[in-house]
Amino acid sequence: MDSLSHLISGFGVALRPFNILLAVGGVGLGTFVGMLPGIGPINAIAILIPVTFASGMPAESALILLVGIYYGSQYGNSISTILLNVPGTASAVVTAIDGHAMTRDGRAGDALAISAVASFIGGTLSIFGLVLFAPILASWAIRFGPAEYFALMVFAFSALSSFAGGSMSRALASTGFGLWLATVGLDPNSAIPRYTFGQIQLLDGMDFVVVTIGLFAVSEVFQLLEESDAGQRAAAMSGRVAISMRDLAATGWTMVRGSLTGFLVGVLPGAGGTIASFLAYSVEERIAGSTGRFGRGDPRGVAGPESANNAAANGALIPLLTLGVPGSGTTAVLLGALLGLGVTPGPLLLEQEPDLFWGLAASMYVGNAFLLLMNLPLVGLFVRALTIPRWILIPGVSALAFIAVYAVNTSTFDLALMTIFGLVGYVMRKFDFPLAPVVLGLVLGPLMEKNLRRAIALSGGDGSVLFDSPIAIALWGLALVSLVAPIVLRRWTSDLRGVDTSELGES
Amino acid sequence: MSAADPRIEADGRRDRAAGFVLLLAGAATALEARTFNVAFMTDPVGPKALPFLVAAALAAAGVRLMASPRASVPLPGSASRHRIVLAAGTFMVYGLALPWIGFFVSTTFVVAVLGGLFRGPKLGSVVAGAGLAAILWLLFVPVLSLPLPVGVLWIR
Repeated sequence: MDSLSHLISGFGVALRPFNILLAVGGVGLGTFVGMLPGIGPINAIAILIPVTFASGMPAESALILLVGIYYGSQYGNSISTILLNVPGTASAVVTAIDGHAMTRDGRAGDALAISAVASFIGGTLSIFGLVLFAPILASWAIRFGPAEYFALMVFAFSALSSFAGGSMSRALASTGFGLWLATVGLDPNSAIPRYTFGQIQLLDGMDFVVVTIGLFAVSEVFQLLEESDAGQRAAAMSGRVAISMRDLAATGWTMVRGSLTGFLVGVLPGAGGTIASFLAYSVEERIAGSTGRFGRGDPRGVAGPESANNAAANGALIPLLTLGVPGSGTTAVLLGALLGLGVTPGPLLLEQEPDLFWGLAASMYVGNAFLLLMNLPLVGLFVRALTIPRWILIPGVSALAFIAVYAVNTSTFDLALMTIFGLVGYVMRKFDFPLAPVVLGLVLGPLMEKNLRRAIALSGGDGSVLFDSPIAIALWGLALVSLVAPIVLRRWTSDLRGVDTSELGES
Repeated sequence: MSAADPRIEADGRRDRAAGFVLLLAGAATALEARTFNVAFMTDPVGPKALPFLVAAALAAAGVRLMASPRASVPLPGSASRHRIVLAAGTFMVYGLALPWIGFFVSTTFVVAVLGGLFRGPKLGSVVAGAGLAAILWLLFVPVLSLPLPVGVLWIR
């Protein structure tokens, strides 16, 4: 049990008082932003990146904070889903079906408790998977050359495009836009400027924090301005939020199955929490058969998807950390943060930065334990945040976002750029173009180009090197499969086809 | 989806327009990429390959969108558009004015205007703006030691 001894040393890092504070702060903030409409983990992480850079904290501490927001938001998400029937991200849409039905039956407290316990089981079981499988994948990926990395990134793009659920041509356009943004600035090899429109500020390229906050946060402000209602009323929460033995017995295996499904789906780039939760729901529905009350407030309809989307979120960290390939908008922003902190994720990360990897894994146990605590006895406090009026909440978050953008380069040019990207993001939303592939393209673009050029340079100009090795061929094959798989998966979850997720971002 | 539905007809037109714009963007990207000539090649691929790939992706997406347009979300009404333009304008002014009037005044201004756009009470929005600006200043400048502009106008 090599992983076990590493993990124990990881606890040495995670249990430093400063890191405990960051883990608790991260998951608390994550719960908060996951629950409130219009912020979301991607914005919270993007806003905090310049702050962590400026504070000069060590990379593992910064990551403990940022990843805490990431998995903490999965818990918060279900709160607003269950109480208000307003899922913050697509991965919580299925939870709304039975979760909100339970609320209407006056069982909101039970639904919240089941969701918290399911999230905890999904979260902790999948960290076990993370520490078990990340070293295996890393030792396997060590043989990857530039050609394999190029194919892997193509796979990441095709997977995100096809699993996102919308139209492929729109996802292709968004990916193209993101890759185009990645080319803006001085070409690192030849030092010639590309698409800078004569602006000196653009020679350094587009900063992903500016682009992400513009595309997601600012465009969200514009989107919210469109909606007329000034706020929502939280459903009355009656009784204690605690799980009964009866509910636990009825949903225990559902949570374990959901964790497994979620973890396996989460490891695949692009698939993520949405597919995981849909899959877990339909599996449970099939297993329950005629004994189920699915759609009318069955606790298993909350337990399955909630354990699955938390497990999927943690599973997605495996390709991010061991291959350096994110599968979603939020993990792409995490990759950008890692690169900014001077950490290069990849198969060597576990050996070169053991404190970072094992410290992070251990801190996720700490964070999940706190999340359970926060979401069972203290959930009432969080729910109160839902009553903050929108006219204070949204301007406040905007002011924070502006500070973050300004702090990147202490430049007002970036603030103008952010506003432009806000308008672009808003128009993209109106035309139904997905936003996550833009961030993925922007962050992965430079790495993709570097690997393409290196691969072909090493072969002396022969392009066929991209399809030379069995690993590369397998990855190209996976890319092809990912384009076909959604058709099969959609048939699997056909009973949920009526649920529209195109309006929501992925987690 | 019957072809007689006027809303879907109109929406299809929007998709075709978006596709056309993408096709143009692809062409412009490729055209500009042709000028990326380097005196000596540091690698056999050069700086043109990714831009050409991007151009192809944009153009292909554009053509597919024009060929199979579909219904999309309805556009906002004029009142919403008005508020969005006002908000975007305020953000731009904030960016331009920040070095001059400093963090405190510009943040109070942007939060107050945005609060009003979200139908908050007038006085409440201004108070919220000033309060937030003060809290954020205390949080970022002394605690996190992140420099925020004081404002050139006040220094003179």
